[in-house]
Amino acid sequence: MVQNDRDTIVAETTPRGRGGVGIVRVSGSKTAEIAEKILGGVPAVRKAEHLPFLAANQEVIDEGVALYFKAPHSFTGEDVLELQGHGGPVIMDSLIAAAVQAGARLAEPGEFSLRAYLNHKIDLCQAEAIADLINATSEAAARGALRSLQGVFSNEIDALVQEVITLRMYVEAAIDFPEEEIDFLKDDRIIQMLQNIKIKLEKIRTGAKQGRLLSEGIRVAIIGRPNAGKSSLLNYLAGHEAAIVTDVPGTTRDVLREKICLDGLCIDLVDTAGLRMGAEAIEREGIRRALKEAAIADHLVMMVDGMTTTETDPDILFSEWLAHFKTDIGRTVLFNKIDKLNLLPSVVEKENHTVISLSVKTGEGISLFREHLKKVVGFSVAEEGNFTARRRHLEALAKAEHHLLAGENQLVQHKAGELLAEELREVQKALDQITGKFSSDDLLGKIFSEFCIGK
Amino acid sequence: MIYDKTFDVIVVGGGHAGTEAALAAARMGAATLLLTHNITTVGEMSCNPAIGGIGKGHLVKEIDAMGGAMARAADKGGIHFRILNRSKGPAVRATRAQADRVLYKQAIRYTVENQPNLVFFQQAVDDLIVKGETVRGVITQGGLRFFAKAVVLTTGTFLGGKIHIGDTQYSAGRAGDPPSIALSHRLRELPFRVGRLKTGTPPRIDGRTIDYTQLQEQKGDEPVPVFSFSGDASQHPRQVSCFITHTNVKTHEIIAAGLQRSPLYTGAIEGIGPRYCPSIEDKIVRFKEREAHQIFIEPEGLETHEVYPNGISTSLPFDIQSALVHSICGLEKAHITRAGYAIEYDFFDPRDLKSTLETKALSALFFAGQINGTTGYEEAGAQGLLAGINAACLALEKESWEPKRSESYLGVLVDDLITLGTKEPYRMFTSRAEYRLTLREDNADLRLTPIAYKLGLISETQWRAFEEKQDSIERETERLNALWVRPNTAPAKALESFFDQPLERECRALDLLRRPEMTYINMMAIDVLGPGVLDPSVAEQVETRVKYAGYISRQADEIARQARFLDLRIPKGLDYFTIKGLSTEILEKLKQHQPETLGHASRIPGVTPAAISLLLVALKKRGHWYGIENDPT
Repeated sequence: MVQNDRDTIVAETTPRGRGGVGIVRVSGSKTAEIAEKILGGVPAVRKAEHLPFLAANQEVIDEGVALYFKAPHSFTGEDVLELQGHGGPVIMDSLIAAAVQAGARLAEPGEFSLRAYLNHKIDLCQAEAIADLINATSEAAARGALRSLQGVFSNEIDALVQEVITLRMYVEAAIDFPEEEIDFLKDDRIIQMLQNIKIKLEKIRTGAKQGRLLSEGIRVAIIGRPNAGKSSLLNYLAGHEAAIVTDVPGTTRDVLREKICLDGLCIDLVDTAGLRMGAEAIEREGIRRALKEAAIADHLVMMVDGMTTTETDPDILFSEWLAHFKTDIGRTVLFNKIDKLNLLPSVVEKENHTVISLSVKTGEGISLFREHLKKVVGFSVAEEGNFTARRRHLEALAKAEHHLLAGENQLVQHKAGELLAEELREVQKALDQITGKFSSDDLLGKIFSEFCIGK
Repeated sequence: MIYDKTFDVIVVGGGHAGTEAALAAARMGAATLLLTHNITTVGEMSCNPAIGGIGKGHLVKEIDAMGGAMARAADKGGIHFRILNRSKGPAVRATRAQADRVLYKQAIRYTVENQPNLVFFQQAVDDLIVKGETVRGVITQGGLRFFAKAVVLTTGTFLGGKIHIGDTQYSAGRAGDPPSIALSHRLRELPFRVGRLKTGTPPRIDGRTIDYTQLQEQKGDEPVPVFSFSGDASQHPRQVSCFITHTNVKTHEIIAAGLQRSPLYTGAIEGIGPRYCPSIEDKIVRFKEREAHQIFIEPEGLETHEVYPNGISTSLPFDIQSALVHSICGLEKAHITRAGYAIEYDFFDPRDLKSTLETKALSALFFAGQINGTTGYEEAGAQGLLAGINAACLALEKESWEPKRSESYLGVLVDDLITLGTKEPYRMFTSRAEYRLTLREDNADLRLTPIAYKLGLISETQWRAFEEKQDSIERETERLNALWVRPNTAPAKALESFFDQPLERECRALDLLRRPEMTYINMMAIDVLGPGVLDPSVAEQVETRVKYAGYISRQADEIARQARFLDLRIPKGLDYFTIKGLSTEILEKLKQHQPETLGHASRIPGVTPAAISLLLVALKKRGHWYGIENDPT
């Protein structure tokens, strides 16, 4: 039996970016209602219909293909509407906004998969795979949650959690023992403690931001001499023409960024202008920006045109730019254009870098690079990467701060001790996600939002 | 000798758990027998003469919402009523009543005697009749064999009860009553885990020997609060005051000097006492820096001079009890009428129970009250109600009732007991309830009366009264929602005296009531907006619901989200070893607890969220899906 009584969710299911086609998916009990509003009617089940997509004010957002699936015969097992329009953030956002206005809410990452899973749309085999993943990732999360934050933060968070617990202890005691002459809600101590916690939390959050923990993903910069194939690589991985590629060396004069998703792990891929000495003014500016990107990247991908050299040592290849790179940064040399050299793809691990021979044009060796990239940015299925853990922590800290402020307001403005207590319970719950005591239900939702499961 | 009548339900014990159990079963139409060693002590308050308090008052209201006796007896026996936490918001407010022991007992006895389908019999129970893994009845001291479809044991502190006063000790169920030794031995042979707990009482004092002029008076609330949803203040007897005094440095010296003769410190007592209700000697030892501890002088009744000095529970030898009492301000010449004592008793690990309070090992056997490691009349009564309901359900072949944490304190109580067990006598606190803002005293009827009606626990008359109240709440809420207040009108001007800023646009009256500065009473005093409803309980609901609306809907979302996963049943006898990835430690825990639902499993200490995820997937594989019984996969 399939549950179709959950609320209705909407999200873009194609990768964010400027693709040719973008798909927005709606799933849940209100799907038909939403179709009615956006399409002016519910499309025939499982028949592609070409229709205008309407905003709430009846203006046409886009025209495209609408597909309607009736529960339980859909990806999620619920009523599903897919709107295939022209790609691009503006159109996609307008479509999502229209669906939200019609009664949907934004889906959490991975929520479609979660629903598919809950509604038996994923077979046993996949369920087992999910189990393995849940096991591996959550165990790792629980064990290493604190460790994955930088040492100084983990200590501070630990201290913060202790203070929250102490504060809750006072508040709860005042509530549960009103006859014991311990009504802390009436004295200044609680306000004082609240202030201290607020300052600590603020400090931790600022510190976390400075540590670039807020960055959306691992930043990988592609650098290389002009026309080595950097933009082609970006395009290949992004799956569409994000960078303008020509045969003219130096085409990329600015920095291009693309988010790519490798098994649920987001990577910020940055394509840069080719590095060469003595370029003209505009190109020099491009090079300056390229070097800036390289300096702040978490990993460097160094593209080499195999037609021009047999050298693969980055220290020699990029000797004139070395001063701009971080010394301890991970480096991958991509020896490109093997199709023209009649070489086979390969991975060679060197002492302080890796060399991968591939052809961006034919795609040979790209899978080797993908696997390698996943490894170097700290992701393996066996252990949740620091990256996801860190993001979760920051989310938790933000939530904790929100509830802390709400609680303070309840106490100070309205003298509502029981509502302060309630907000503090939420603060604790948020912080529990860092210290590992979070509830199973929350965890499940989290896991399914962090990983693209069951697609 | 076999008793010639077979019963649906036999309840053993006539305390707070036993009476609620027997009454509930009988209300549901089960032919019920209440077996007690002494009919005259039915409804006895063995400890302090008070009903309710924080968390406890909530339980009393819940029992009342399901047709139970406790709140109504408190209304008839209550001689001093207060609402605690009045300054802190409706969710944590709780009613407490000092009761006249005699009047309270009378009210309970009257209810029990006049309950159709319920009969008494006086004789101690020595043994259970067990066939296979099912309990079929009980055998009394006199050898009478009573058969029934279900048996509820509410033996209180009587199982292996042992009283300590100083270095002397003797077996007893409570002061003046014999313990149940034979039954205790018999139960210890059965596959239940047994532990020892301890509780204590203070010495009682003759009020005529107290110098009240030295004490601080504490009056009851005016107007006098009412406990039962169907009660009213006219049922209350005469109201009296409580008094407050304190221990002092001299008291503490006397106690410290006598510690080597306290059974707590000589090792004579092995049972664990409650941390939140320590004996006076415990307080002195653990909180050395405090120079005074509060003592509430509580009246025992209107027709007695005896008072209960709450706060100096002790098992010190009598000479030290006497000296410490006389060192207290106002009690210098006090005459002690009964010595304080500690009592140790057997309890059975509640983790061996299902959430219906039926034992996992023996079917048709239910435990309720202190036997499960709890303390307090209210906790006992609530469990009694639940055990009585489910014993009747079993006997009458109805579907059992498992209260949820999100629905009642009763649900919190039972869930805590069966998943966490207890190391000390378990007492209810509001902080145990994660849905505290939803589980209020004032809405106990709205939460539970519909369930009680379905179970057959309340009469048509009560149900109609409830429906009427519910309708009035909806109607009044709707009225205020549809009532608009325009700026610069007379009602707007009247409202503005309560607000910092004048109204700038048209507002719904309900939204204005939501503002913290506004109260229902103040709003109804305004022409056009008032007069509103007369019934204060209706007004209270309208007001509380709108003020808490944001929080309550957040909790409701959380409850709904949790329910999807956590109500999923784990089949009995599931082989946890077949689930890949569970650690040995967690396997052991799950095997030992045999949780009934995924929710129970998730709350067992040490069971990780990852393990729950694995269980979830494993259950899905087996086709057991959350809340969906007829799952085709």
